Amino acid sequence: MKNNIRVERAIKDMTQADLAEAVSVSRQTINTIESNKYVPSTVLALKIAKVFNKPLEEIFMLEEGD
Amino acid sequence: MRLKYLFPYWCRFLGWGLVILHVPLSMLGRAHGMTNIMDPQPRDQGIFAGEHLFFICTTLLMSAGLFLVAFAKEKIEDEQISHIRLDSLRWAIFINYLVLIISLVFIEDVPHMLELNLWVPLIFFIIRFRWVIWRLNQSLKREA
Repeated sequence: MKNNIRVERAIKDMTQADLAEAVSVSRQTINTIESNKYVPSTVLALKIAKVFNKPLEEIFMLEEGD
Repeated sequence: MRLKYLFPYWCRFLGWGLVILHVPLSMLGRAHGMTNIMDPQPRDQGIFAGEHLFFICTTLLMSAGLFLVAFAKEKIEDEQISHIRLDSLRWAIFINYLVLIISLVFIEDVPHMLELNLWVPLIFFIIRFRWVIWRLNQSLKREA
């Protein structure tokens, strides 16, 4: 699964720490999600989408092979 | 995600304290000629005989300490941490059974195998868990 959290963060001028605080996880978690090393749970994905005020599909996309 | 059945964060330090405390205590016991319960016992002893009681106390200290370290919450306990926790637990069980099976085949010293089984899962779990978190922190530092 791909995501464009990094881009959305840049648009909103948020740091990884800001986003981490907004969704109550650690900075490491945001970092590993951004670098596609960790796939978040549905709850966390929805929370992240809510922070950016966008539908889930605009932030997280399935890749070929998923 | 709310995680139940984990000790508060400060328990980690208490746990390490107990583990460290166990070392001089058992060394002191050995120095005073107390044998380990796992060693061959030359004489018959009751459950509450001094040496047995001493062994139980130090072993309890060590295992309670390791248990607290292994199952204390992280500062920020999120879903990735619980994922790593679960994965490390799986590896610890794998390794434990591997060691158990190998020692069953090649070693006849059953009491020491029991002792090994007491430590291996917890120690391996702690090492693996901390190692993964350390690697995550390193990759975060590299990006910063």
